[in-house]
Order: sequence, then C-alpha cells, then structure tokens
Amino acid sequence: MLPRMHETVRRAGWRGVLGLLVFCVSGAVAAAPPPAVLRLSIASEPPTLDWSLATDNVSITVIENLMEGLTAFDDQLRPMPAVASRWDVSPDGLTYTFHLRDDVRWTDGRPVTARDFEYGWKRLLNPATGAEYAYFLYDLVNAYEYNSGRLTDASQVGVTAVDDTTLRVQLKKPIVYFPSITAFVVTFPQRRDLIERYGRRWTDPGRLVTNGPFTLADWRHEYKVVLRANPAYAWGRPSIDEVRMYVINDRSTALTLYETGDLDLVPLPPEAIPFYERSPEFVRVPILRGYYYGFNVTTPPFDDPRVRQAFALAIDKSEFPALLKGGELPTNSWIPAGMFAYNPAVGLAYDPAAARARLAEAGYPAGRGFPAVTAAYNTDPVNTVIAENLQAQWKRTLGVAIAIDNQEWKVYLKRLQTQPPPLYRLGWGADYPDPDNFMALFTSQSGNNHSRWSNAGYDALIARAASTGDPAQRQRLYDDAQRILTEQDVPIIPLFVASQNYLIKPSLHGLRLNAMELLTLKEVSIR
Amino acid sequence: MGTGGKHHRLALISGVVLGVIGLAAAAAPWLAPYPFDAQDPGRLLQSPGVDHWLGTDRLGRDLLSRLIYGARVSMTLGVSSAVIATLLGIAYGLASGYLGGRTDNLLMRLLDVIYALPDLLLIILLTIVLGRGLTGMIAALSLVSWVTVARLVRGEVLRLKSADYLDAARALGAGHLRIVLVHLLPMMLGPLLVTLSFRIPAAILAESTLSFVGIGLAPPTPSWGGMANDGWAALRFYPHVIIVPSVAIAVTILTFNILGDYLNDRLNPRRASIAGRESSA
Repeated sequence: MLPRMHETVRRAGWRGVLGLLVFCVSGAVAAAPPPAVLRLSIASEPPTLDWSLATDNVSITVIENLMEGLTAFDDQLRPMPAVASRWDVSPDGLTYTFHLRDDVRWTDGRPVTARDFEYGWKRLLNPATGAEYAYFLYDLVNAYEYNSGRLTDASQVGVTAVDDTTLRVQLKKPIVYFPSITAFVVTFPQRRDLIERYGRRWTDPGRLVTNGPFTLADWRHEYKVVLRANPAYAWGRPSIDEVRMYVINDRSTALTLYETGDLDLVPLPPEAIPFYERSPEFVRVPILRGYYYGFNVTTPPFDDPRVRQAFALAIDKSEFPALLKGGELPTNSWIPAGMFAYNPAVGLAYDPAAARARLAEAGYPAGRGFPAVTAAYNTDPVNTVIAENLQAQWKRTLGVAIAIDNQEWKVYLKRLQTQPPPLYRLGWGADYPDPDNFMALFTSQSGNNHSRWSNAGYDALIARAASTGDPAQRQRLYDDAQRILTEQDVPIIPLFVASQNYLIKPSLHGLRLNAMELLTLKEVSIR
Repeated sequence: MGTGGKHHRLALISGVVLGVIGLAAAAAPWLAPYPFDAQDPGRLLQSPGVDHWLGTDRLGRDLLSRLIYGARVSMTLGVSSAVIATLLGIAYGLASGYLGGRTDNLLMRLLDVIYALPDLLLIILLTIVLGRGLTGMIAALSLVSWVTVARLVRGEVLRLKSADYLDAARALGAGHLRIVLVHLLPMMLGPLLVTLSFRIPAAILAESTLSFVGIGLAPPTPSWGGMANDGWAALRFYPHVIIVPSVAIAVTILTFNILGDYLNDRLNPRRASIAGRESSA
C-alpha cells in the first residue's frame, strides 16, 4: 500500500502535496468543533437596551433573550413560573405574593432578589425615568399617583420586597391576568448599584449585567448586536454559543443574505411570499397584531356615527389576503383570533346596500355633498397598498373620494398625538396575551386612543372585565364592549389580523415562534 | 458637417417620439384600455400578456393605462412648470438687467440667496405648504427653477443693452416697453427655447424623484416616479412593474435632452460659433 501511495504523490507532483497539506490542516481544525452561531437580521438598531425605556419590537426581542422575569409564557402563552417559582393570590384578589427561586444569579455572580424587582418597578414608575410604559403598572396601589408626581414617597407604591425571595404586590382592583404582565420586559429586575454607578451607560457591553440565557457580548451601533451563551443560566446553558443580530432595514437585502447562507432566519417581504410558500423552509405564524383604521370622532363628517358605520360597512375585507399574501385574516371584530374572547360574530361585515343607506341617512346620498377628507398612514409598502385599496373601495361603494397622505413613522406618531387626522391607520400588537391589552386601548384614559372617542359605558365594561375571573361572564362583558366599539359607535374599523412569515434553515431546531412575535432563542440548537 | 447631419436625424427621431408621447398624453381617455385607478383583485402583479399588454401592478391596475395617464401628468407638469418658470425668470431678469445699478445689485443678491438653497429641499418644503396635488407640485417646481432663467435673461440683457441698434431705437424715440418687447426679447428667443427644452425634463425628473421616495403626487394620480416606487419593493420578483415606468422616464428625458442639445447648437449664437471653430480645425 505504501509504495503505491508514494507513487501517486510523485505522479501528481506538487499539487498532490499541497492537497495532502490542506487535508491535514482541515483535519486539525475539525478536531475542535466550531462554535454554534445563529445569525439573524433585526430591522433597526435597538433604540435602547434599558428595559424600563424600551417600547419597540427590536429592543424587546434583544432584551427577552438577555433577561428572565418573574414569569414567562409557555407555547400556549400561559404565564409559567420563571424567577418566581410560585405565587399566591389573596382571597380578595388584591395582593399577589411572588416566591422567588434562590438559585438565579446575575452574570456577575450576585443572586437575583426581590429587591431587584422592587427597584426595577419603582424605577419604571419614577417620573424622572420618563418611561412610556409606566402605565403598565398603574393597577398597583399608588402607582399612578407616584408616576404623575402627586405622590413623592416611593415607599407607598404597592410593591415591596418582604425579604430576598418574597415580593408582595398590592393592587387597586383585582387583575385576573396579572401574572401575564410580569412576563413583559418592563417588569424585569434591575440592579440599583450598577445603574447608580454607570448612569445612562449601564447597558453598554461589558457593563450590562443580566440574568437570562444570553449575555451581551458586543454591540456595534448600526451594524450588529452579539449575544453569547450564559454558562451560569439557572435553567441550563443554551445549546448555541453565539447569536449575531445584524441590523438590516431592507427586507429584500436580508432575503438575499439568507439565500447566500449568511443568515439562518429571515422574515419574508410580502411580494416574496408566493415564491417561497411551498418551500420546506417556509414558516407562517399567526400573530396577535390587529390592523385598523381609526376616525377622529371630534371633527365632521366623522363626528356622526352613521358616517363611520357606512365607511365600515363599505369595505370588502376579503380582498386583503390576495393583496398582502401573508396569511392575513380579515376581521370585523377587534379582539384578534388566537386570544381569549375572540368573537368573529361581532362587528360590521361587508354590506354595500346598508353602507349606502347609512350614508344617505347621514345626509350624503350617493356620497353627494361629502366634504373633502384625508386618510393618513405611515410610509410603508403594506400601508400604501391598503390605503389605495380602501380609497378605491370607498369610491366604488359610497361614491366618496378620499385623499390619502403618508408620513414617516416618527412624524406620523407625533401627529396622531397632537392633531389626529380625520382617518388614520394604526396597528396594535399584544404586550400580554389578554384581551384587556387590546380593549383598554380605546378607553377614555388610554394614551394610545387617538380617536378621541370616549364612552363611559365602554370604560365601565373594560374595568369590570379586568376583574372578572369567570371566563363565560368575562366573554360576555368583552362581547358587549366589542359591540359598542365595532358596531354601535365605530371609532375604529378593524381590518385584519396579521401573520409573520419566515424562512428558517432546516439546520435550526427548537425555535419557538409564537403569536407575541417574541424570538425565544434559548432552546434553539443547530445541527 | 457629418456630425451635424447625424444630430439632425437624432433630433428628428426625438421630436417624433416626443410627439407620440404628447399625443398619447392628450388622448389618454380614448387610448387607455382601462381606467387608471381600476383595481382588479383577481389579477394582481400579472406579467405582460394579452389582456394587459404591460401587465398589472400589486393592486391589479393595468400598467399600460397608468403609463399613458402618467404621460399626461408628466407632460402637464413638465411643460407648465417650465413655462411658468421661464416667464417668471424673464420678468425678473429683464427688470434686473434693464434697470441696472443698485436695483440690479439688490435683485441679483436676492437671487444668490435663493440659488444657494438646495432645489430638492425647497421643493419638499413648498409641497408641504402648497399641497401634494398637481397644482401644488407645478407651483413648487416653477418656484425653484425660475432662478437660472432669470440669470440667463439678465446676462443677455446686459450683453445687448449697449448694442448700437438699441441706441438707434432710443434715438428714434422708442419707449422702454417698446425696446424691451420689440428689440430685446426677440433676440433672446434662441437661448430661452434651449433653456425651456432642458427645464421640462428636469421638472419631470424632479417629480419622479419625489414620487419615487414617496413624497410626490398623492395617489391614485398615476405618476411615472410613483409607479417606479410601487415596483421597487417587488424588483426581484416582478421586475416589469419597475421596468415599464423607468423606461418611459428614461426615453422622455433622453429625447428632451437630445432635442435641447440640437436647439442649443442651432439657436445659441455663442455655442454655434464655438462649434463652428472646432469643426473647421
């Protein structure tokens, strides 16, 4: 055997030698397994990694993988024990006592205690923090008073660390879904010592101390965020070693990178979906995100509910799935499919004759005499398609010509807050999988209710439903409230519930994609 | 002379192409097979075929019909904004050049200030104030592009002002108005025509740029730039949606520029003499 091999090498000359050399070198490298790296795209630079201040999807996705809260959602989006191993509720439903595990540690070795939660919650409510999500904890005793500056003594807020492993929460009224709230990033624990030492820079790589499955290894602004597996993670070190999240704002660019093998997971742009739908790598996940058009009910012609009803009745929503191609589910009701109290029987379905009749009753037969109004939306390909489609549908069915106008997201949001246009597009994604999150949006005191619509009966129903434990009774309360919202007063027209469409490499296993749009990476492995 | 002949033929072809585009724009309601805003949800993003010669966009609208109506929008916008800008420029340039002295100085410094502002930024600001309809866009484009015309006219006036024939006219008792209208303006017709032929495509391009970035004419007005913007997202999968309006923009701009070059060679006295010297060398 040996001489023949020698001969072969000689005949092949230097190329053979080189080949052997390459073979040896690659063998040596293969001996040490390469790190398992997961590569993703994120739509923008995370605006912040401070979980008291984060409000957007990108920041929250990163933080979710760095941190662990009192509770966490399972596959069915039920709140399950996380840092809290169990919790008790007082018979009146007003006091929650969370019992914490004593073996969860921060990445610097210090144990995670109830005091870290108390500090984090009070920091969220502290007016000096300026957190937009402060209202999340308004159901706590004195939380609103403290956040609005009427109360300066933080010790009177209804959250107390009784000892290192016991957190007591006192509520103003019973909230049946409270353990779902404690799964959201804004309620995660925080380190007073580090925040006081580093100030606003406490989230920088090298300083940020976390307690979750991954640690922040690197953050190159406008380029990438790198997470590394946390070997001391209390629930066991994740299987993948590193997660690289590249900032890629153009979805077609991300798709190209996926195809060249530079990304392992990519959300699909709508126009690409038909070309990948039959691919084994295609995954569609319905998500809890409603898409709607709202009216500014304080200005004519939309101060008349009959006009609003006519506009709602005139929309044939069955056109949307073909236009958007992303598995959108048209809806007439507001609570999205997949959530408790979803009821497809509620709401105004397409009825062109009724729409015209309603508009005539309001004084605009066949659209005659209808004033010039503009529908506004934020600049985005999907929003443009929907706006132009609605414009054509309203003209076709009602004989009303609507102008449409688009603005950049930040400008648009500011306009909604200061001077809402007569007709505007918006969406809402679930922060916690409870109908309260969707229905409380349109109560009089909600800061996100841009319609300026206010109905005391509706407010009362929502408040009662939040404290009602019996599912059947709760369902009835939400049905009644939804009828006011989508049939009677119609300050909004729900259009469809969205889906998320991904391509995922077959080598990726254990990725849990859920309706909350959270990318939980701790159980992912690459084979 | 050989190149001159080729120029001539090219200009003729350009003229014919522009004539066709202009006719199509004028006869849009009779020529277009579908209304420009008719949506057919059953026929989205179709490739060019028998029913829709150039295919459909993502709302199922016929691209050929939108292209023809788009020509109407582009031509109206290009021609009217160029004409308005030229008229404004003539008035300003004549006043400045003819009056001379401190008035001239003041008017020209004012012009410098306006000139220093970036065009696109000014157009965006103006459309916010004037609205995103056709009239608002025409006004914004005219208000931006008259400045170059004003400079050109002033230069011509200064060149001609000391000419002997003007002295003769004055000696014969001609008033200012007569001098300006009869003796000055006709002499500038050549350079003005050339400027006009360059201003039109510039205006069309500016509108296309604005529509492409999503701040041009408001939908459903079909504009070539807006159509290209629609096609951008689907570039990889449905290239015809962006190719159709892009070709239309390119052809129009190119033919206008060829025609403008030709007119420049023929009508601009200084350019013609330079060209003559070069060809004799």
